[in-house]
Amino acid sequence: MNHEVTEEGKAIVVALEGDVDLSSSPDARKILLECVRKGRPVIVDMAGVSYIDSSGVASLVESLQGARKAGCEFALAAISEPALRVLHLARLDTVFTIHESREAALAELG
Amino acid sequence: MAERKSVESLLAAGGGNISDHLRLLADLGHDFAASLDIEETLRSAIERITTYLDAAGGALFMLEEGGSTLCCHACHGATEITGLTLSSDQGIIGRCVQTDSGAIVRDAADDPDFDTTTDEQTGFTTLSILCAPLSVHGERIGAIELVNKLSEDGQFTEADLAVLQALSSAAALAIINARMAAELMEQERVRRELELAAEIQRSLLPEDRGDGFPVHGINRPARTVSGDFYDYFGLDDGRICFNLGDVSGKGMNAALLMAKTASLYRCLGKTIHEPGLLLSKVNAEICETATRGMFVTMVGGIYDPAAGVVRLANAGHEPPLHRAPDGSFAALQAEAPPLGIVPPVMPDDAYPETELHLDGGALYVFTDGVTEGYLDDGTTLEVEGLKALLDEVRDRGLRERLAAVVSRLDPGDAPLRDDVTILAIDDA
Repeated sequence: MNHEVTEEGKAIVVALEGDVDLSSSPDARKILLECVRKGRPVIVDMAGVSYIDSSGVASLVESLQGARKAGCEFALAAISEPALRVLHLARLDTVFTIHESREAALAELG
Repeated sequence: MAERKSVESLLAAGGGNISDHLRLLADLGHDFAASLDIEETLRSAIERITTYLDAAGGALFMLEEGGSTLCCHACHGATEITGLTLSSDQGIIGRCVQTDSGAIVRDAADDPDFDTTTDEQTGFTTLSILCAPLSVHGERIGAIELVNKLSEDGQFTEADLAVLQALSSAAALAIINARMAAELMEQERVRRELELAAEIQRSLLPEDRGDGFPVHGINRPARTVSGDFYDYFGLDDGRICFNLGDVSGKGMNAALLMAKTASLYRCLGKTIHEPGLLLSKVNAEICETATRGMFVTMVGGIYDPAAGVVRLANAGHEPPLHRAPDGSFAALQAEAPPLGIVPPVMPDDAYPETELHLDGGALYVFTDGVTEGYLDDGTTLEVEGLKALLDEVRDRGLRERLAAVVSRLDPGDAPLRDDVTILAIDDA
């Protein structure tokens, strides 16, 4: 898994790329939680996610919960087809705020 | 700095009696081999080496904290410095470790590397030094340092260094062996604990009720412990309460949450006979102590054998498959997210329920370890593959059908890709 963190306006955009699985989800968790702790809106760009397993989803859930506690917004954007299938199947699309694209998310949160 | 010498060179150096040297080496080798407590053995070895080479004091230092410090683990004579910590490049012993070579220092005060701090702290006066590194195949462990030769004009000889180097090699090997043995023992301890945990986990699964019973399940963990579970138990009115779940992640944390969820379901399921409400109660409990974003996907339901009807609720789980007697399949999609993520707004909020008439068919509930499991050709089974397999084995008994699915995914000697868990209700 690769990642890139950029600041766009007041938002922090975390782009995840590759497999977010048992071996890489601890890294994803660390990166996301560090961003959430800054108390600014966090957008996770998931366009490059080729695979996500339940441990990867748990990292997203924990970050969402952390963001809620910190009172900041947390959204997923441009979710790749394989990742969206996982989130949709588990009805997690009802839990996360999801935007079609990074631009749409920034228009809302940036 | 002296060159490292072989034991054979002792003969040439002419120092001491070769048979005495070899006897000490053999004795220490024996002590190291028989040692149950390496630190104690090193203390006794340092005492014997110091005495044998006629030094006022001797100490064994080991590298610690990723090689940044040297700590004294054993000493004899002179002053008590066990626990003394130096920087790993400090003093003559530091130089010996860094260059991985032994040293004879005739007058410590004349050596620019000599560090006076220890003498200042202890009040001892170091005159001459003999030092040999502890290393095995370039892996640096530390060094042995002797101070102040008591005989021969107070000077250590080339022969002394050769003896010390032979003894330090034996000590280094013993330290490496002890570390490896400690690691193996730790691994063995963890393995035993995991096996005990796995035994407890297996006891949480229901007893196999045999061929006549309409519900059956199989759980095959990919590792020792599992994050999957299933359960079924009869209610007083003849109905059967069942569930199947999958905890996010793997390993001990998933296994512990599995144990908690399975216990909650079994306990609450005896009094709450509405699957949607039951899942909601379990969800509320898990949410209260949720950690690290972990969650549980679960299908929970009640089967009424008399009516051939199942009522179930699906919390974010892989859709169960209903196979009708005509061979058609229907998938029951989740209508709510997994347990442990969204706390209930109202205490009596229930998860949406689905009522399903089995009509003489069967309901299969399974984890993604089944659909994402690898087949012999390296492809994954997928939902379509599972349907085809269930068609193939349609004329067999319930237990045989489930065994056929699991054996198709079992690579035999290699571990499974993921926990494989499947439960079925047969309304035939």
